[in-house]
Amino acid sequence: MSGDSNVEVPSDEVLASMGREELARLGAKLDGVELVEYGERYEPGSPADKHAERAVSRWFVLSALFGLAMIGIFIWWPAGYQPPGSDKQLMYALYTPLLGVTLGGAIACLGVGVIALAKKLAPHEVAVQQRHIGMSAEVDRRTLGAEVFDVVDKTNIKRRGMLKGTLGLAGGVIGLVAIVPVLGGFIKNPWAKGAKSDLWVTGWAPVAGKKVRMAQIDGTPVRPEDMAAGAIMTVFPGVPGGAKMSDSAVMLIRLRSDEKVKIRDGQQGWEFGDYYAYSKICTHVGCPTSLFEAQTGRILCPCHQSQFDVNDGCKPVFGPATRPLPQLPIALDEEGYFIAVSDFHEAVGPGFWENGKHPAWKASPKESS
Amino acid sequence: MRTPDEAPRRRITRGSKSFRRLSGGLALLLALITVGFAYAALSPTPQTAQAAAVDPEMIAAGKNLYMNSCITCHGANLQGVQDHGPSLIGVGEAAAYFQLSTGRMPAAENAAQMPRKPAFFTPEEIDQLGAFIQANGGGPQVPEGQLRDDAEVAKGGELYRLNCASCHNFTGAGGALSQGKYAPALSEATNSEIYAAMLTGPENMPKFSDGQLTPDEKKAIISFVQMNKETIDPGGLPLGGFGPAPEGLIAFLVGMVAIVGVTLWMGSKA
Amino acid sequence: MSRLTTATAKPGGSMASKALDGADLRYHNARPLRTQLNKVFPTHWSFMLGEAALYSFLVLLLSGIYLTLFFDASMGETVYQGVFDKLRGVPMSRAFASTLDISFEVRGGLLIRQIHHWAALLFLASMMLHMMRVFFTGAFRKPREANWILGVLLLVLGMAEGFMGYSLPDDLLSGTGLRAVSAFILSIPVIGTWAHWAVFGGDYPGELIIGRFYSLHILLIPGLILAVIGLHVALVWFQKHTQFPGKRETEENVVGVRVLPTFAAKGGGFFAVVFGFIAIMAGVFQINPVWNLGPYNSAQVSAGVQPDFYMGFLDGMVRVWPAWEPRNIFGHYMIPAVFFPAIVGATVLMILVGAYPWIEKKFTKDNAMHNLLQRPRDVPVRTALGVAFLTFYVLNLINGANDIFALKLDISLNVMTWIGRIGSFVFPLIAYVVTYRLCLGLQHSDRAVLEHGIETGIIKRLPNGAFIEVHQPLGGVDEHGHPIPLEYQGAPVPKRMNQLGYAGKAVVGVIKARDDTGLIHHEALDAAEETGNGGTNGNGGTSGALRPRDEAGTHSGH
Repeated sequence: MSGDSNVEVPSDEVLASMGREELARLGAKLDGVELVEYGERYEPGSPADKHAERAVSRWFVLSALFGLAMIGIFIWWPAGYQPPGSDKQLMYALYTPLLGVTLGGAIACLGVGVIALAKKLAPHEVAVQQRHIGMSAEVDRRTLGAEVFDVVDKTNIKRRGMLKGTLGLAGGVIGLVAIVPVLGGFIKNPWAKGAKSDLWVTGWAPVAGKKVRMAQIDGTPVRPEDMAAGAIMTVFPGVPGGAKMSDSAVMLIRLRSDEKVKIRDGQQGWEFGDYYAYSKICTHVGCPTSLFEAQTGRILCPCHQSQFDVNDGCKPVFGPATRPLPQLPIALDEEGYFIAVSDFHEAVGPGFWENGKHPAWKASPKESS
Repeated sequence: MRTPDEAPRRRITRGSKSFRRLSGGLALLLALITVGFAYAALSPTPQTAQAAAVDPEMIAAGKNLYMNSCITCHGANLQGVQDHGPSLIGVGEAAAYFQLSTGRMPAAENAAQMPRKPAFFTPEEIDQLGAFIQANGGGPQVPEGQLRDDAEVAKGGELYRLNCASCHNFTGAGGALSQGKYAPALSEATNSEIYAAMLTGPENMPKFSDGQLTPDEKKAIISFVQMNKETIDPGGLPLGGFGPAPEGLIAFLVGMVAIVGVTLWMGSKA
Repeated sequence: MSRLTTATAKPGGSMASKALDGADLRYHNARPLRTQLNKVFPTHWSFMLGEAALYSFLVLLLSGIYLTLFFDASMGETVYQGVFDKLRGVPMSRAFASTLDISFEVRGGLLIRQIHHWAALLFLASMMLHMMRVFFTGAFRKPREANWILGVLLLVLGMAEGFMGYSLPDDLLSGTGLRAVSAFILSIPVIGTWAHWAVFGGDYPGELIIGRFYSLHILLIPGLILAVIGLHVALVWFQKHTQFPGKRETEENVVGVRVLPTFAAKGGGFFAVVFGFIAIMAGVFQINPVWNLGPYNSAQVSAGVQPDFYMGFLDGMVRVWPAWEPRNIFGHYMIPAVFFPAIVGATVLMILVGAYPWIEKKFTKDNAMHNLLQRPRDVPVRTALGVAFLTFYVLNLINGANDIFALKLDISLNVMTWIGRIGSFVFPLIAYVVTYRLCLGLQHSDRAVLEHGIETGIIKRLPNGAFIEVHQPLGGVDEHGHPIPLEYQGAPVPKRMNQLGYAGKAVVGVIKARDDTGLIHHEALDAAEETGNGGTNGNGGTSGALRPRDEAGTHSGH
């Protein structure tokens, strides 16, 4: 940033004789800044001057007071957690708010004071600075261009085809070298297990030929008599770690016996009496769809408000979801506990490109909603 | 009368997997025993309103109230009236208690959902009506005694998040259901009301029978709900407990308004 | 040039000037330093919004560094045994447990957590307001297109940073959001599952994601944001700030205050004010109480889940997107419905916003350099487009919390969804038309004042019985007493007599009037020196006497 060239630089003797304000204005002028309005705001010692100083100082006093209060509260206020019901709970609950207000007050008041200082006490000024309009000086641009291209000429890069080729090759390979190991480390094949990919298999798949029991979150196996009509229970595969499996949560629903239920084609007999099991993982983006309305038979997903109709094969009836909640075929084992007859017969949860590619499911394209 | 508190409770899963399976089975057994004890302990308590079966005076008084206030929608024999009210046979004293004490019944109008309002009947009248309902087909009853178990509040929280939060929100602030229905806020619900609601599943709420959530688990959940209400939020105003939506609103209405206010002051002439 | 300091470096010069000389001897910095301190910045209030964003980011850095000292970004399972009784004994990830510890056992830790989160919201909010200011005033025009792109980049980076940040505690709410993002990634055609496996290291949720987010959240993204902010501010510094047209302001200059002292003091003070306000908010308003939300479990959820506000429009679009998706492509492949709003929609919106300077250039064919800003009313098409976009954005922000609106306003959830679906098309159109007409109306009103003068509110009855309102001309009057019409120049026009100084000066003071003896009026001094400086509205209108107009006709009814 060069100053305006038309400003004359005074000689050293003149400089030495100049006062401070003169020098300050000269400095501005050398940088292309004209001080249109500039100067003190008040007559020194006048009532307005004193008032302004007091007005600014007040903020600094307030800031210091808040700051001291903050330090005191931080150190001496009882900050230890108090449970509900304790008579010290209110004191505890006030700790963070008081700390925030005093800390914030101290910092904000300091800031307001500094701004007030700039507005009320710093010299009043309206400065006008000239912009650099247009491009740089002709000589600068021409010489810059010449320098660059002259190097190119002298190196004779244009002529050296082999150099260009090999440099390009090395550059390209180095680029790949930078990308391949960085990205490569992340690449994993989701289909490494083929038809047993995690996207297709849930915890309900029989383990070593043994059908999986339905269990509550604490592992308790579930029997029909545990549930009243119009009840919903979230059940998990009764295998170790079943309650943690992200795609395996299932809603076991007991409908009232007088409810008419339409079952999706090919899924007859997957229920047990009035008991139906549907995946709890929404087919939209995978939230647990557990808002079961016992009277209307609707299941609502709280994330994007898709609604599924239990009485119609859990098909989506409203909202952005497109595919029905997959049904899990269930039965009772010899001890009277619920088991999954098999794994789901379609992919659970949010959709993906290869959703219908499972070798066994290919034959029956999913019905549209 | 109270449930034997000393009966072992199911614990939250912890430790090894085999331990978990074993403890699950054990817990079921113990829970069943607990239920049995609770039932046995509760049944023969004739001195309170619970003793519906053996207090004909109360039933008669309840019948009287029923004939005046309920008969239009629920029918002369509790069989229900098409498009007006459901059958009350077998719903139990718990359902009557929930509906009447939360003021939902008698209903003011036939809306998508009955809102909570001040109870129309006195507690005695509610007991009488409950006795009358119980006498006609039986059904679930709210147990007497302590319905909270503050020692198990963390477990109650886990069960609440699994079974209740999806409709009633993390903090019990309530939530919307389909087509104008909603899960109400739990801010005014009493222990007995929450217990009765879990047991009977009013309106669109699913039922949570004692086989699904044992009485102890129900008490843990009640404890969690009520302790949430007793908690004074440690981080300042809770903004309704609705999470990011009100937080974003405050960011603009308070934060940005304050910041823009300061910029206006800074930009103004001294 | 460096001899500037010699004048003050006489024997007996202060410590400060000795230090300046010492520095100059070593670094030869007197000239460049002076030049930077002499940089002039305009003082309009709306130019401070970007600074507010910068300062919130600094608060984020400071509070964030503190939090890293206590946070454990691990998805390893632990059983909580801390002081908070409502979760004691519950299995959870170490990330969640350490967040509880910061909230309950680190003295003042909860405040720092809340400062960090509020600062994040204000960072995004002030970026958005800053962006609106730049858009509606045309500040993005040549030569500042690159800075618009950098700004859009900062917004996107800020959103990503915020999302990763609130996902870190591994609580039930953010976990639900993470699940949605996992589904967004899965929905990408062809590469979706591969991309998901790359990001999560396997099926959702895996055991890596919190650690990965942590690295990105505290290292990569803040580094990028810092670098882009540096570039963004450097460009403003070297290209010099834009300004509104005015009495002195032209395309060739910058009118305002120099960095030293006023701009620097105001900036430093403003940083403290922003920091202070954030701290006060963090004390008064509880934010993201993870202890109420509980640890993440893929089978659990709460009613009324929604993301932080800056991701809300995305969630809103996902909520109202119709249940439509192409299936059985090439046999058995599909594109899930969520791909269209979440991936396509978001990308298209960002590209539209980022490319706007070039889109506008294409239609206006305006390739000139612009240092003067425009008032929104003077560019009705751009303003209307901007308001239409904002309408769409805000509507979808509301859609993103439509269940809470449904609950609180007692509206059916299904109705809310349909309002969102239809409104996404209809409301922006209405907003466009209304804004366009409004801009023209405001222009018309300005022109009327320039032509006829300000309405005085004085009604006069003419001898012929007609009533007219007396107007105060802004320019002079011709020999018949008709106002000389002034040219419309896209600058503010006074609309009330008070703005011409007819109300006198307000008396300041609480108990007694403040004694302003000793106040120096620079404006008055300079105004006296200047005469008819060719400005837009400084044509001596203020000194014109209140002259009743004789004619009725054109002046009586605006």
